[in-house]
Amino acid sequence: MKNPLNKRVLREVRTDFGKYLVIFLTLLLFIGLISGFLVAADSLIYAYNESFDKYNVEDGHFAVQDKLNRTQIKKLEELGISIYDIPFTEERIDNGSEVRIFTNRDEVNKASIMKGKLPNKANEIAIDRMFADNNKLKVGDHITSDTHEYEIVGLVALSDYSALFKDNGDTMFDSVVFGVGVVDEATFAEYDKGNITYTYAWKYDKAPKDKKEESDVAEDLMVDINSMVALEDFVPRYANQSIQFTGDDFGGDRVMMQVLLYVIIVILAFIFTITINDTIVKEADVIGTLRASGYTKSEMIRHYMAPPVFITIVAAIIGNTMGYTIFKDFVADMYYKSYSLPTYATRWNVRAFVETTIIPVLIMVLVTYLSLSSKLKFTPLQFLRKDLTNNKNKKAVKLPKNLSIFGRFRLRVIIQNIGNYIVLFIGIIFANFLLMFGLMFPEILDDYQKKLPDNMMCQYQYIMEVPISAMDEDHKLNSMFEMINYQREIETDNEDAEKFTAYSLEAKGVEGVIDEEISIYGVKDDSKYVHQKIKPHEVYISSAYADKFMYKVGDTFTLYEEYGDEEYEFTINGIYDYPSGMVIFMRQQDVNDMFDLGKSYFSGYFSDTEITDIDSQYISSVIDKEALTKVSRQLNKSMGGMMVIMDGLSVFIFLVVIYLLSKMIIEKNAQSISMTKILGYSGFEISRLYIAATSIVTVIFLLVSLPMLQGIMIWLWETILRSQMHGWFYVFVSNKVLMKMFGLGISTYMVVAALEFIKIKRIPMDIALKNED
Amino acid sequence: MFLKLNQIKKSFGTGENRVQVLKGIDLELEKGEFCVLLGPSGSGKSTLLNIIGGIDSADSGDIIVGSNKMADMKEKQLTKYRRSHLGYIFQRYNLISNLTVRENIEVGAYLSKNPLSVDDLLETLGLKEHQNKLPNQLSGGQQQRCSIGRALVKNPDILLCDEPTGALDSKTSIEILKLINEVNERYGNTIIMVTHNDGIKEMADRVIKLKDGMIRKNYTNEFRTPADMLDW
Repeated sequence: MKNPLNKRVLREVRTDFGKYLVIFLTLLLFIGLISGFLVAADSLIYAYNESFDKYNVEDGHFAVQDKLNRTQIKKLEELGISIYDIPFTEERIDNGSEVRIFTNRDEVNKASIMKGKLPNKANEIAIDRMFADNNKLKVGDHITSDTHEYEIVGLVALSDYSALFKDNGDTMFDSVVFGVGVVDEATFAEYDKGNITYTYAWKYDKAPKDKKEESDVAEDLMVDINSMVALEDFVPRYANQSIQFTGDDFGGDRVMMQVLLYVIIVILAFIFTITINDTIVKEADVIGTLRASGYTKSEMIRHYMAPPVFITIVAAIIGNTMGYTIFKDFVADMYYKSYSLPTYATRWNVRAFVETTIIPVLIMVLVTYLSLSSKLKFTPLQFLRKDLTNNKNKKAVKLPKNLSIFGRFRLRVIIQNIGNYIVLFIGIIFANFLLMFGLMFPEILDDYQKKLPDNMMCQYQYIMEVPISAMDEDHKLNSMFEMINYQREIETDNEDAEKFTAYSLEAKGVEGVIDEEISIYGVKDDSKYVHQKIKPHEVYISSAYADKFMYKVGDTFTLYEEYGDEEYEFTINGIYDYPSGMVIFMRQQDVNDMFDLGKSYFSGYFSDTEITDIDSQYISSVIDKEALTKVSRQLNKSMGGMMVIMDGLSVFIFLVVIYLLSKMIIEKNAQSISMTKILGYSGFEISRLYIAATSIVTVIFLLVSLPMLQGIMIWLWETILRSQMHGWFYVFVSNKVLMKMFGLGISTYMVVAALEFIKIKRIPMDIALKNED
Repeated sequence: MFLKLNQIKKSFGTGENRVQVLKGIDLELEKGEFCVLLGPSGSGKSTLLNIIGGIDSADSGDIIVGSNKMADMKEKQLTKYRRSHLGYIFQRYNLISNLTVRENIEVGAYLSKNPLSVDDLLETLGLKEHQNKLPNQLSGGQQQRCSIGRALVKNPDILLCDEPTGALDSKTSIEILKLINEVNERYGNTIIMVTHNDGIKEMADRVIKLKDGMIRKNYTNEFRTPADMLDW
């Protein structure tokens, strides 16, 4: 025989439909969203990983001055690689952005067609889907460059441009101002030959076993190729940000999303346990009778666990279904805003199923079981006598004598519902945590961009690039001439320009801090850009470096060569106020000596005006305002959507938690409320008693939670920045954000208070008359 | 002897506030015997009932049911004992508000390996036509019938009734007592009924009067008076 008590489960849900509906919808929303997130993220990363084979992504590419002839290609292929011709030109289009245009690729780095088709006629172009979205371009639109008017016939994802980095040395990509596209052979043939960059992709005939071997093979290959043709650019796949960035960056928010789900489940489980505890108190005599009749404690636990577990299971099943359908697309759209990914097929994800179904149900089972186990520990007789307190000598808390009856009443309500208020506090902390996260992030990025001009050492930092041909050890004479030529070519007449030496080392193995590339700047003694008198052998570190590694003057640390065994020890003489980079400042001569670079060596220029008299082929990278703000702009673009979701979710959680808990408080006191009505109290006066109690607590909790969270959030962000992210920026929570949070919290509460006011008005007077207790 | 109580003692409170509620109760009941425990408030009759029912424990003394000694039983065994041997009826019916009459009785049936027929019982209890109603749609007497059904359906060896008519008017009380009597005659359960209504004693096989925690009178009626002829 089935336990007839099971029949109560659905009826229980029906009786308190409003409460269960809110909890169900909350679970459904979060499980659906996070299931969708995990499914989309895993399906997309699978599509990304699969794209390497599916679209035959290059093992690397190099650029040369002139088109290679067949004999040269054949000779190069004898090095154990296959060579593919992927030339490109770059055109500025009418909206001011730049498009790197390739021909259709049939063999390597093939395109995934997201919409439309590949071009097969003159003046047709297929452009990157993300670039098109960011510039509001669609299939059928026309774009104009200096040379052509193109019709967009397709939106594509090029497998070697999942992140739209224009130059591999860029700190971040900007998919608004730079995109890629393909045209047919005939259209490509019309471009001015002088504007073509002759790029060749290679694939190894025998793939290297591991990363180490790949790096060794690539280094040898660079030397070998350079001995045959003069290289202008050489980028192995493992070092190509356009290909690798997505894979490295993808899914980093997975842990955050999971934690979000589990915290929500725990909060809801606590709300359930409070509800169940109230039910147990209400049904104590029934429980006593059943226990006296022979029902076991575990049968009772299972019985009272059934509604929350049932609701969670149903929400998990429907949520997962929605995750695979509605939410998955929603999340995938967010990823497509950040990366230029190929089309994907939804994959059944066991891990997502476990994380969004099994674990939430287990959490719910565990929390409710522990709570019920403690609540149902009383004997049948105690239940029958409604004697459900551990403290037999519990006395009324003494309240100040001069307090008015209303004040006393409110305090009694607060004391009576202390358990509910604790959960309310946890809920407020959690909701405000999300809200703070959502509100502070755009402000931090905004602040970073605003303060950047003040934080820059100079308007332009140029890093020179030694041509590969000047490093050819097999042709030393030629190399020497190239080097002499190079040294002449990198001199400038710009009076603002100031030479400096740059070298980079790795900060490795520092506890709690991610391995970081540290730039060592050797600056002139009388530098007009670094405003610090640096004496011989003195070491100054940037304030960002000091903050991230928590270094202070007098500390000693060791840095390492990235590809070598050498290590260097530095002792800090001072901290230089430079928040924009991980930098060590020394005298230029000291840096040149330290790394055996030669007395007259320099790596580039600091300058407040643009240097125009150095050929761009000798410039490796330019760090200007544009380059430095790319990171924050891209973060804002890719995470902006997420922040809005966070804000929405937090308000929702806030609403749910306050609504459920204040509803319970009112229900628990329904009889007393009814009695006060009989006594002649008006609806407004009763609200002053019951709603005001919760209002006071909510306002106090809001006020207490804000500074608490401010500290936690800054600590958390700094820890994440230290341990997970490269670079450093100043994390703060402004008063504006705190005020917004308080305002949102109060507004949300007022909505709930209005609902509760109506609820109190509807409590009939006969409850007090009917009830015997 | 089916039920044997030997020197049962029970106290509540500590120090100066310690009150001895049962001061050494000796009692023997045969299977199928209908016993009424009479006494004023505070005489210890409900405490004694609870101890027999295994939901309270004695400070000292033995209770033997059949061949089982209750003092040796742990919590799980006590639950099993209650599950297999006992049925409880309380003054307040303690029905489950969102289960129908039939389902409330099935809650009791679930506990037994050989429950009585729920349909037969509904018929006996006069609840057949109310079987699909919720408790709040029933009168007090009907609710008490339902709670009797819940206790009886598992066909317990002992039916413990704690003031089963305490919340009912006289007419309904007599109906309920008739029903309990019928049950006793039909199913042969041992019935122990706690009441402070002296009029009920005439319908029992055995009458035990308690006062100040001690048995003042313990006698058997030569004839059992039918419930509807009780002097109320």
